[in-house]
Amino acid sequence: MTTLGILIGVFLICSLLSLSEGLKESIISELRTLGKEVLMIFPGEITDLSSLFTAFFGRGLKIEDETIEKIKKIEGVENVVPLDYGASLVRYKEKTKTVLLFGYPRKEAQELFKMNLGWKLDQGRWPKPKKREVIVGKLVPSDIFPGLKPGDKIYIKGREFLVTGVLKSLGTKQDDSMIGLDIEDYRKITGFRKGSHFALVKIKSGVDTERMAQKIKEVLKETQKRKAGKEEIPFTILTNEKAGSIAGNILALIQIIVFAFASVAIIVGGIGIMNTMFTSVRERTREIGILKAVGAKNSEILIIFLIESAIMGIIGGILGTFLGIFFAKFVEFYGQVHPLLYFKASITPNLILFGFFFSLFVGIISGYWPAKRAAALKPADALRYFE
Amino acid sequence: METIIKLEDVWKIYQLGKVEVFALRGISLEIKKGTFLSIIGPSGSGKSTLLNIIGCLDFPTKGKVFLDGKDVQKLSPDELARIRGKKIGFIFQQFNLLPNLTAIENVALPMVFQGIPEKEREKRAKDLLRMVGLEGRINHKPQELSGGEQQRVAIARALSNDPEIIIADEPTGNLDSKSGKKIMEILRNLHLKEKKTILVVTHDPQIASFSEEILVIKDGKIVREGKNIEEILWQKLKNERLF
Repeated sequence: MTTLGILIGVFLICSLLSLSEGLKESIISELRTLGKEVLMIFPGEITDLSSLFTAFFGRGLKIEDETIEKIKKIEGVENVVPLDYGASLVRYKEKTKTVLLFGYPRKEAQELFKMNLGWKLDQGRWPKPKKREVIVGKLVPSDIFPGLKPGDKIYIKGREFLVTGVLKSLGTKQDDSMIGLDIEDYRKITGFRKGSHFALVKIKSGVDTERMAQKIKEVLKETQKRKAGKEEIPFTILTNEKAGSIAGNILALIQIIVFAFASVAIIVGGIGIMNTMFTSVRERTREIGILKAVGAKNSEILIIFLIESAIMGIIGGILGTFLGIFFAKFVEFYGQVHPLLYFKASITPNLILFGFFFSLFVGIISGYWPAKRAAALKPADALRYFE
Repeated sequence: METIIKLEDVWKIYQLGKVEVFALRGISLEIKKGTFLSIIGPSGSGKSTLLNIIGCLDFPTKGKVFLDGKDVQKLSPDELARIRGKKIGFIFQQFNLLPNLTAIENVALPMVFQGIPEKEREKRAKDLLRMVGLEGRINHKPQELSGGEQQRVAIARALSNDPEIIIADEPTGNLDSKSGKKIMEILRNLHLKEKKTILVVTHDPQIASFSEEILVIKDGKIVREGKNIEEILWQKLKNERLF
């Protein structure tokens, strides 16, 4: 009971810090996938974290093929690759599951993935153009269709496809659970014959990305004006730089939240120890009287109580750190089993050291006041306490 | 013989809310080195307050207390702590042993605060426990000892730094008469053999009869003092109002 206060405090801090750090790393790695010479166009406006998610998943807006053709013609643009996704039933051996399909123009996109986004093969080979072949994410053979390997066949809406390779992890659970197929096949299967959810624009090297983004915006604006009579464009053009600043905003937000929670945890932990120390001093008032009667100086009483509160802090700290790490690992495991953002809890030696020294510090600080009060007691008053 | 303790017009007034309680009313007293004095009086007469003030556990509201000619109110808290540890040994009615320490650890505790090395502490604590007849109980904790045994541990602890003065507040108050007698014999031996100054507070005339001098206190005032113990105690029997 005595160390419960600090245990809860350190537990909260450790679990929050390791999880937020893990989340941070996962978001950074996701946003870093965008190469320097690549721009991404997708529907919606990114202004904050919530609109980022609706931008990705919420709206039914599509980039039209005509727009893509126009962008292709802009000077400085090397290539434009439309990308689309949608869920469909997939069968492998006896199992049938709904899996996210990812359609991309094989020839152009694969180069871009390899060169600019850093996608790598874990097993097998890349699918060849104009063949009924697919590539799968890292989690497909492990979680979705256990035992699946390159060379196996899968059936998407009754059509047979050859699995040629497995990708290395792309950083998120969603990306790693997709099956990538040629956009033509994708369109046949899903029936979405026009437009795409995303487009990647590869620009020529040496061309200013911001200027290109501006030019693309103008093309989009023009199309939008002609079609819907509106000036605003419902699309976002994400550059490497913009992605960095979004990442910065998200990280700042995460840090503020963590700081707020950690502050509460620190206060709760500190008050817990202080309360415990006050109780301990009250319970042991007579003992303090005895120590004084047998010659203990005020400074010695202070030291005795400070050592005690430091030990209490450390015990609480060690248990709290241990439980915090355990909890963070549990959340990480839960995140892998369930379709959440999939990330690793970041547990570093620094975090463990922080837990240790923080609890020691809080123990000493919050033990100081009660200890000082204990030391200042008159021996006769202390001895009379329970009498 | 030289004076070891001197009190000049000592008053102790406790403030209980708006009420002032007079525990001591102008006590003046001189105690010579090597005295064995009993302070007797009824409950609430101020005898324990007097003992606390003599033992530097408390300060008077008014008046002066001298130990070896030094005004104790002019001493720093550290000097007072040193006096309590080195010059005075305390024995309490409730024994006041630390429950988590063994008998030998309790006896050695005052020596820790005087900076005596561990080996020496252990040897002296063992010797003292042997002296009070507890050599077989040195590793027992207080709760494993009888009341009489606990009080003997407390006596050994009071002697650990070889103090000049031993102050005992109702040392037999929680003991049966046989154990009480044994405790008083130990104190008398310390007085006779080691010439310690011993002050005992009691309300039991039988316990008081072990001492050489007696001081009767009532309502915070000394009503009688002297060496004619039997006469004073006889007076008590005749006049119960004294106590």
